Formats: sequence, structure tokens, C-alpha cells
Amino acid sequence: MNKTLLGYVPKESPIYEVHPFVKLFFLLVVSLFPLFVAAPEWNFGLLVFLLLLMFLCRIDMRTLRIYVPVAISMGSIILLSYTVLGGRHAEFQVVANVFGFPIYWERLRDALVVYFRILPMIATMVFFLSTSRERDVIVAMRSIKMPFVVTYVFAMALRSAGMVLEDFHIVRQAEQARGFDTTGKSLAYKIRKYVMYMIPLFALSLRRAEEFTNALVARGYSFTGKAAKIKRADYVLTHYSYKIHDYILILLITAAFGVLLYLSLGLGFFELDKSQFIQWLHQILS
Amino acid sequence: MEPIIQIVNYSWKYPDSENPALNGVNLQIMPGEFVGIIGPNGAGKTTLALSMNGLIPGQYHGIKQGEVFVLGKEVEEYPKGELQMHVGMVFSDPEAQFTAMTVEDELVFGLENLGLSRNDIKERLEWVVQLTDLQRLLNKPPYEISGGQKQRVALAAVLAMKPQVMVLDEPTSMLDPLSRKRIFQVLRQLRETQQHTIIMIEHSLENLTPLTDRMILLSEGNVVLHADTRSFFQDPTLVERGVYPSEVIQYFHQIKKRGWYEDEIPITLDEAIEVQEKLLASLKVFNDRKGL
Repeated sequence: MNKTLLGYVPKESPIYEVHPFVKLFFLLVVSLFPLFVAAPEWNFGLLVFLLLLMFLCRIDMRTLRIYVPVAISMGSIILLSYTVLGGRHAEFQVVANVFGFPIYWERLRDALVVYFRILPMIATMVFFLSTSRERDVIVAMRSIKMPFVVTYVFAMALRSAGMVLEDFHIVRQAEQARGFDTTGKSLAYKIRKYVMYMIPLFALSLRRAEEFTNALVARGYSFTGKAAKIKRADYVLTHYSYKIHDYILILLITAAFGVLLYLSLGLGFFELDKSQFIQWLHQILS
Repeated sequence: MEPIIQIVNYSWKYPDSENPALNGVNLQIMPGEFVGIIGPNGAGKTTLALSMNGLIPGQYHGIKQGEVFVLGKEVEEYPKGELQMHVGMVFSDPEAQFTAMTVEDELVFGLENLGLSRNDIKERLEWVVQLTDLQRLLNKPPYEISGGQKQRVALAAVLAMKPQVMVLDEPTSMLDPLSRKRIFQVLRQLRETQQHTIIMIEHSLENLTPLTDRMILLSEGNVVLHADTRSFFQDPTLVERGVYPSEVIQYFHQIKKRGWYEDEIPITLDEAIEVQEKLLASLKVFNDRKGL
């Protein structure tokens, strides 16, 4: 098993045959797809495709269950914001009344469109993070000649997230050992006492920052001056090379995006008035 | 021969402290020497180490007096990033010195800062990985390995840069005895095969003593004892000064104090066994003569 940013993927997974840049390219391009597609059934199709891809890449599908509550709560928030809290619009078609709030068809439709746009975007991100290690992200960024400072700061941000979490556990355990424990207390109490964790965590972060700066300086790194101008060998890239299938995948992703743009902007293929699902739902609600 | 590090009347005071961390220190360290620095907590050992690497005054606020010369040049005269190419530093907390996402990247980071080519980096990487036995860990994140492995990675990362001077600030203080032994094994190999000048701050004297050429005892910011390792441990007042050498050395000091032994105190276990054998042999001769 290889540890990735969101879990573990078996070493035998075909995803390891793919150059990290291709994965990043997939993330950047495919997450744009839903922006050009209004019809929810197509975005749902993309979501199914992404789930299939995760299955083929041998991502443990059980780990995806943790996103179900996120998807439900996000859907509920979008639905509430668009319908109950969406304001009054005399020109819209009322399909129902909930506690005196008119529910408009147009607002309901828009909520569905937004929701089904967001879902595949999140799935694309989950796919990327589930199949990539921190190093893959760095390699992908460096292979397109992004400045070292940018890739390095990004890598450190990834690393520091884990470190802060680790420090938080240490602080919590230390406070529990001295009798301070919020387990079983009310939410209001927990929020009020959260500062008890935050202050030592903040102090620890400052110390970490100092240690980290010292480590960088001690290894001869400098953000300014002559040392900063040295051409770096990017040794990590020697472990990765583009293979024919990488070029084919880049071409396929690019071609898919081109076709999508043509169908969407040129022919209006994914517009709402051509959506079978929306028409069917409208008929039912009307 | 010119000293590789020369410290002249050097004092350093942190802004929020009453007393200086270092107070009028004078030191000379020659190329190729292995120097051990010992002393109680708060004696100024880490401040001295940071001063030799340029992290003081570069990264810390404080009042500096006197001068610290490295390779004949005052540390403040070095452009950013240059001094650290000559003086490598290993800190006591291995976690605090990692700068990359995998062990391999960690080892390579400093080499890239030196501006080496990919071939040179590969060569040095292979050398240091073999020396420190890190082959199996190269693809692992440095924060997911054991404490001893972390410290070996930190040591290897500095070693790979092949600095002329290596300053090690209590590199084994957080390690178990076995991991500590492995670090000292690497240092022993290094001492035998390389031409590094090594300055090591360490509390584990039984491991440090056999490696060093000279020992320095710091206390309250002052150098209170400074001699070659053998002479250093002949001093009968060491324990009174807060230095607890290996039990072998303490044992010989005790028997010398009781008048049962008059010669030089052995400083390693092997030497002690040899001396003890001689003592027992002479005792046997004595007993035989007396017919006891």
C-alpha cells in the first residue's frame, strides 16, 4: 500500500503508471467540465465516470462513505439557500408552499443545477488526492517549470497541515492528563474552552516556524541573495518520465475538453431547456 | 596550520535574559579535529553551536561582542547561504530539521542548494545512503519513521553536503541506546574515513569520549575546562564540576583517590580492561612472591 494524501492505494494500482503531471492536468481540466454543463444528468454521468475511475484505480471505495454526510449537508444548504431563503419573486412559478414560504420552480431547478455541478468537482478533487502523494503534487508542479519557491511553499503547506493536527493531539493529550477534558460536555462549553487548545497550539506553531527557518538556513537555503539564484537540479524529476500513454491521456483530456466546449458553447447541447431530467421534473412538479 | 574556527572574546546575550549566554569565550578548532563540548543545561552549548553556523546572529536577536571566524572569515561577512555550505549543523530534535516530503528529497535538498548537477547529486546520495544505511527508507516521509532513523536522516542530509565543519547539537538526546549507538557508529566511520572537522555537543560521555581529540566544558557561558581528551579526564574535580564521565573513568578516579592506583586514568572500556588486567597480574606476582 502507498500512502496518499487522502488514504492508501495498493502498489499494484494502474494509477502509478501515470505521470503525476497527467493527474494534475486531469484535476485542473476535468474539474472545469461541470462549469460548461448545466444539465444535471450529464454532470451526474461525469460523477459516475469518476467513481468508476476510482474503482479502476483500486481506491478503497468504502472510504468514500465519509463524503456522504458532506454531500447531504451541502445539498441541504444549497437547497435551503435557493428555496426557503431565496427571497420572493413574483415572476417565478410557485410549485409549493412550506410554512408560508413559496417554493419556486426556477429556484429549485437552479439549486439542482448548482448541486450537480459541485458534486463532480469535489469527486475530481477526491480522485486526485486519493491517488496522489505530496511528492506527486510537487513533481507535477515542477515538471511544468513552476518556480521552486511556489512548489516548496505548497509542499510545506501540505506538510504543516499534518503537523498542526499532530500538535493538536499532543496539546489535547497533555491537557487531558492534567484533568482538562471537554469530552461529553456541551457544544457551547467546547467552543468556549477551545481557546485552551488554541493558545498552546499557536505557541507551538511559532516555535515550529522558527525551527523550520533554522533548518532551511542551516541547509544553505536562502530566499534572497546569491544563494537564491543557484540553478536547482530538481533531482526528484529524475525518477519520473513521460511515457506514450501519458501523452495519449493528455491528448484525450484536452480533446474531451475541446469537444465539451464546442458542444456547450457552440451547440448549446448541455443547456437546461435540452435537459430531459429537468423537463421530467418540471412536469412532475407542475 | 590555520584554525578552521577561531572564536575571540565572544559574548552573546539574548534580549530577554539578564546574563549573557556566552561570556568572553576564546576557542580555536583545527581542521580535522573531533571536539566534544559538554556542560549542564543552560551552559551556552547550543548558543555556541548556533554561533559557529551563523544562525546566531543571523536568525536571532541579541547583543554580540567579539568575533567568530570560520575559515578565516568573520561569520557576519559571509553572504546569505554561503557559510552553511562550509558548516553543517544537526539539531537535537530530528523532527525540527526536516524540510522535505520524503527521505530522499530531504537528503537531496541541501545538495540542490549547493547547485550540484543531477549526476553529482546521485553520486553523493548513494554514498551517504550507504554510509548511514538508509536504503530502505528513501521513499518514506521523514516524519513517519522512528526517532533513531529520523536522526540518521538528519545527519545524512548534512553529511551529503560534505561541509568542512559539522556541528552536532545533542543529536542523540532523544534516542534510545540502540539508536544512539548507530549514530555513533556513523560518526566513528566518518572519523576514520573522512576529513571533516566535527564539533559535537553531547551528554552521553561513554560514547563521545573514544571519538574526541579534545573536550571543552562550558558552564554559565564560560569555558571552564579545555584540554585534549586524555588530559581532560585526568582531572579529579570533574564530578565536582558537574561532569559525570563513564563509570570506568569514575572507578579509576576512586581507586586512585584511595591510593591503589597511580598511573594515567584509562578513558575507554578497552583501555580500562587492559589496565585492570595489568593490575591483577601484578597483584598475582605480588601474592606469589609473598606466598599468599
